[in-house]
Amino acid sequence: MALTAEVVGMLAFALLAFWGIPAWALVRTLRQEDRKVEILKHQDRMDTYSPGSLAELREWIENNPNDPLVDEARQQHNECVDALKHTDMHFYDWSREEIDRLERV
Amino acid sequence: MADVPTKTARAEWGTRFGFLMAMIGAMVGAGNIWRFPYVMGNNGGGAFVLAFLSLLFLLAVPGLMAEVALGRYTNKGVIGAFRDVVGRGGMVGFGVVVLLVNVALMSYYSPVIAWTLYYAVHSLLFTFTAPGFEAEPFMTGLFDNAALMIGLHTVVMGSIAAVLALGIRRGVERVVVYAVPALVIALVIMAVRGLTLEGATDGLAFAFTVRWEYLVRSETWIAALGQALFSTGLGWGIALTIGSYLREYDDVPLGGGVFTAIGESSVGILAALAIFPIVFAVGIEPDVGAGLAFVSVVQVFPEIPLGGIVAILFFVGFFLATFTSGLLITEVSVTTLAEETRFTRTQTVLGVCGGIWLLGLPSAYSVEVLDYLDFVFGNWGLPLATLAIIGVIGWVMGPERLRLLAVNQNAGIHIGRWWNPVVKYVIPAVMIFIMAYYAWEDFGSREMIGGMLVLVLFPIIGYALMSVLEGRGGRPDTAGVTGGDD
Repeated sequence: MALTAEVVGMLAFALLAFWGIPAWALVRTLRQEDRKVEILKHQDRMDTYSPGSLAELREWIENNPNDPLVDEARQQHNECVDALKHTDMHFYDWSREEIDRLERV
Repeated sequence: MADVPTKTARAEWGTRFGFLMAMIGAMVGAGNIWRFPYVMGNNGGGAFVLAFLSLLFLLAVPGLMAEVALGRYTNKGVIGAFRDVVGRGGMVGFGVVVLLVNVALMSYYSPVIAWTLYYAVHSLLFTFTAPGFEAEPFMTGLFDNAALMIGLHTVVMGSIAAVLALGIRRGVERVVVYAVPALVIALVIMAVRGLTLEGATDGLAFAFTVRWEYLVRSETWIAALGQALFSTGLGWGIALTIGSYLREYDDVPLGGGVFTAIGESSVGILAALAIFPIVFAVGIEPDVGAGLAFVSVVQVFPEIPLGGIVAILFFVGFFLATFTSGLLITEVSVTTLAEETRFTRTQTVLGVCGGIWLLGLPSAYSVEVLDYLDFVFGNWGLPLATLAIIGVIGWVMGPERLRLLAVNQNAGIHIGRWWNPVVKYVIPAVMIFIMAYYAWEDFGSREMIGGMLVLVLFPIIGYALMSVLEGRGGRPDTAGVTGGDD
C-alpha cells in the first residue's frame, strides 16, 4: 500500500517536531555549556542574566520593595551587574552602552 | 514566606549531558515504548500527535521548568525544598505526600522492570526465535510464577540499590549516559529494519493517518492529556530532585523543559516507527494494549529475517528504559531522606530500596494487584503529587518569583510572563480535572475508593508526621551533603 501525501506529511511533521526540537535544544544547550566553561576558564565569574531578564528583575525589585525575597533578588541583580562591569567576556549579548547604563539596586 | 534558602555543598552532575540524559532516562519508561504507539494509533494517529504536542507545550514544558527550577533554586530534595518555600510546620507534609506517591509508584513499577528484565534475558538466549515458542503462554507463565516474579523483583531492587549507592556521578550518571543513547540506537535500528519489510507502510498509515474527526472527541484529548502529563513525569518530584544536582551556571528552561518534555516523547514516536511497521508486516492486531509489547511484538521476531537480533535490540532497550526510570524514581526518596535524617547515603539507599522491595511483594505476586495500584496511583496519586509541587510554586512561592530568581537566571532562552498563569492556574486546574474525571468515570468502584483513600490519607499522614517532627525543633543537624561520595 502506497502512503498518501497526508500520511507522509504527518510523518515528516512528527519527526521534525519530536526530533527536530529536542535536537535543536540539545545542540544549543551543549554549545552554551562549552561557551560558559570557556568564559569561566578565562575569568572567575560571568553575567547571569540576559538584558531582558535583568530588566524584568530590576523592575520587580523596584515594584516589590517589601517582598521577603527582595534582598535575594537584589543580590542576584547586583552580582550580575558587577560581573558585567568587571569582566570582559560575557555570555549574553550585552553591548557596552547597555553595561554602562546599568546600576546596582 | 520562609527564610532565604541556604545553599549546601552537595553533589552535582559532572556534565550537562549527564543531567540531560538523567532527565530523559527518568521520563522514558514503559509508557513510551508500549503505550504511546497504541494510544496514538487508537486515537486518530496524526490527530493525536497534534493534540499531544499542543498539550506538551502548554503544560509539560512549563511544568517541568518549574519543577527543575525549584530543585536548582533550593538545592534540596522534595521535603527540604518544600520547607524552604512554606517554612517549618505541617505544610511541609505535602512534600511527604510526593515522597509517599513515589514509593508507592516504585513498588509496582519494580515488577514491571522485572518483566522487561526477564524478556531481555530471554532475547539474549534467542528464546523468541526458537522453534515451538508461543508468546502468550510464555507471558502468562511468567505472571503466574510468583516465586520467579519475586526473585526478579529482588534482582531489580538490588541492582537499583547498587547503582544508587555509588552516588549521583559515579552511579546514576554513569548508567544514564550510556543507557539512554543505547535505547535510542536500538529503536532506530529496529525502525530501519521494520521499514524495510514488505507491508511496513500499512503500519505507518495506521499510526500517522490524520483522522481529523478525532480532534473533536473528548477521549482523544483525555488520552493525549494522560500521555503528555504522566509520560513526562511532571510533578513526581523527579525533575525537582534531578534539578537539585544542577550546577550554579546551568540552564533550566532549555534542558529542564524543552529538551526533556519533547525529547522523551520523541522516543514514543520512534517506538511507533519501530513497532507498527513490523506488526503490520506480519499481520498482527495492533490495538492490544500492554500485550502489544509482550505478546504481539514477540510473535513477530520469528517471522522476520534477523528476528533474534531485533528482539535483543528491542527488549534490552525496553529494559534500559524501565531501569533508568526506576533508578531516578527511587533517587527522589534517597535524596530526600538522606537530607532529612542522620543516615548516610548508603544506609538510606538500603533502607529505601528495602522498603520498596517489601511494598512491591504483592505486585510481584499478583498482576491484578499491580493493575489496581497502577490505576489508583496513576489517576489520583500522581495528580495529587503534581498538585502539591506545582501548587507550592504557584500559590505559595509565586511563579513570578521563581521565574525571575531561578528560571531566567543563566537561562539559554528567556521565559516571559506567559509562564506565570500556566503554572498558577492551568496546571493545577488540569490536575483537579483529571482526578474529578476518573472519580466520575469510576464512581463507586473499588478503584475510585482506593483513589479517594489516597487523596485523603496521604495529606493527613504527611501533615501529621511533619507537624510532630517539625514541632520537636525540626530535623536533626545534618551535613547537608547528599549524592554520596561525589
